[in-house]
Amino acid sequence: MTIASMRGVVKRYGSYVALDSIDLDIHAGEIIGLLGPNGAGKTTLIGTLTGMRPFDHGTVELFGQSKHPFSHENKEKIGLVTQEITIFEELTAKENLQFFAGVYGLKGEVRKQKVREVLEFVGLSDQANKLPTKFSGGMKRRLNIACALTHSPSFLIMDEPTVGIDPQSRNYILEGVKRLRDRGTTILYTTHYIEEIEAIASRVIIMDQGQIIKEGTPADLIQTIQHEEKVSFEVTDPERIPEGSLEKIAGVRRVLTAGNDITVISDAGSGNLDRMLSIIKEHTGVLGIQTERPNLEDVFFTLTGRQLRDKGEEQ
Amino acid sequence: MTVFKFSLKRSFSNKTNLLLLTLFPIAFIFFPEGEYWPVLPYGYQYFGIVLLFISIRLTTIILVDRAKGVVKRLAVAPISYGSYLCQNLLAFSVILVMQCAIVVYGGVLLGVELYQPHWLMLLYVSFSFTSLAIALAWISIFRSKESAFLIYMSLVTLLAILGGLLMPLQIFPEALIRIAVLFPTYWLNQGMSWIASEGSVGDFILINGVLWLYTIIFMILGSTRKIH
Repeated sequence: MTIASMRGVVKRYGSYVALDSIDLDIHAGEIIGLLGPNGAGKTTLIGTLTGMRPFDHGTVELFGQSKHPFSHENKEKIGLVTQEITIFEELTAKENLQFFAGVYGLKGEVRKQKVREVLEFVGLSDQANKLPTKFSGGMKRRLNIACALTHSPSFLIMDEPTVGIDPQSRNYILEGVKRLRDRGTTILYTTHYIEEIEAIASRVIIMDQGQIIKEGTPADLIQTIQHEEKVSFEVTDPERIPEGSLEKIAGVRRVLTAGNDITVISDAGSGNLDRMLSIIKEHTGVLGIQTERPNLEDVFFTLTGRQLRDKGEEQ
Repeated sequence: MTVFKFSLKRSFSNKTNLLLLTLFPIAFIFFPEGEYWPVLPYGYQYFGIVLLFISIRLTTIILVDRAKGVVKRLAVAPISYGSYLCQNLLAFSVILVMQCAIVVYGGVLLGVELYQPHWLMLLYVSFSFTSLAIALAWISIFRSKESAFLIYMSLVTLLAILGGLLMPLQIFPEALIRIAVLFPTYWLNQGMSWIASEGSVGDFILINGVLWLYTIIFMILGSTRKIH
């Protein structure tokens, strides 16, 4: 079932094209990782997908409705975790959640119950009556996420929800995202932290300069740029391996020896690791094996010629 | 009415606001009377300035919501921007009207000479809405509440002086008095003079009508800025 789709969506700011003919389908139960550097158009895409920003051309369909995709009925099914921490500092954690639950029409006992559940989900039950001013950055982020969950949205949009927080809080949030997926929530997750996408996304969309430049499962995307595989063996005595024996294995391109390390470079998908290992073990002892595979960062670099994050953004 | 309820709660959420919205107006009841000017006791003459300041203090809630992105989040929720704005303004209006009632009827209880207290209450209510609309229009052009408030203080001082709230208009040159007609504070001042002089009801309706006209104009200006 398609939750949301965009066809030929164009958004301009004057002469600057923020979204350039975006075609996108989001299916129920997916976690889509929307990846791109600052200014790629991720937030603009979210803005147009949720009706916050009008677009210049194309169509947006939400929950099968293309005529009135941003109706109140559809909005009740969407949750937005904003990039900024959009909570009320003068209200307690519980009151913040009561506010957002109330805005989504929850009342009385149902509202109380949802607020309790969500506080527990984000691990803030014991902080319910405290003001966010007393919270750490990670706790504020978790409350920010909780505010989008009070009405149990079936489609959750998370716009860089982990910016500027410690690794523990980040892991907590990522685990929470997986739990939401397990409950059947469809999630669109934008970030420029590649490791987050690798940890949670079932499908990845890479954006750059307002365009979707590639999409697919993380494995598929890596496959598209993977031309060779690299395996390094640490052995007890490399001299004892007969010269040329490894080079003869099908798919092997090169063999490099440095000290006790032998590095074998093969064609991608050669599936010759077993053969290499048996030849090496026949002649000498194996102390360790290391494989090097490309990741999504390499995919992004190959596609755009740029790193995903500026050096200043690295944590 | 979630926004309304929480807007009230947020308005009274810190000690400064609590003092400003409760004890501060009460203090104005005890201001002395002037010998020749103003026509009402000083506290009542200056109360319009208080309303202008409290209005900006209250409406900065909307400014903060916009600056922090709360309005953006609400844009995705099943609530229109109009409803969000109306509920906030309703909460602020309730606070302002209650203050007006405390000052006017508190004064009556304490035996302060207010000539026609019900008409004064009506005038203050009209000016409360004008103040609210001015503050809404003002915050719509700022992103930071600090700069909005600081510049507004200068503006209010100017409005208070030129409108005749801080000193008698008669001491100004004729040209300035003509310009003063353009300021809402002038009409508040005229209203207070009417209350002391017991003029025709038509004049009072005209004064309130001008204040409501300002309210509508500033309300339209202030409500056009939405999310960005």
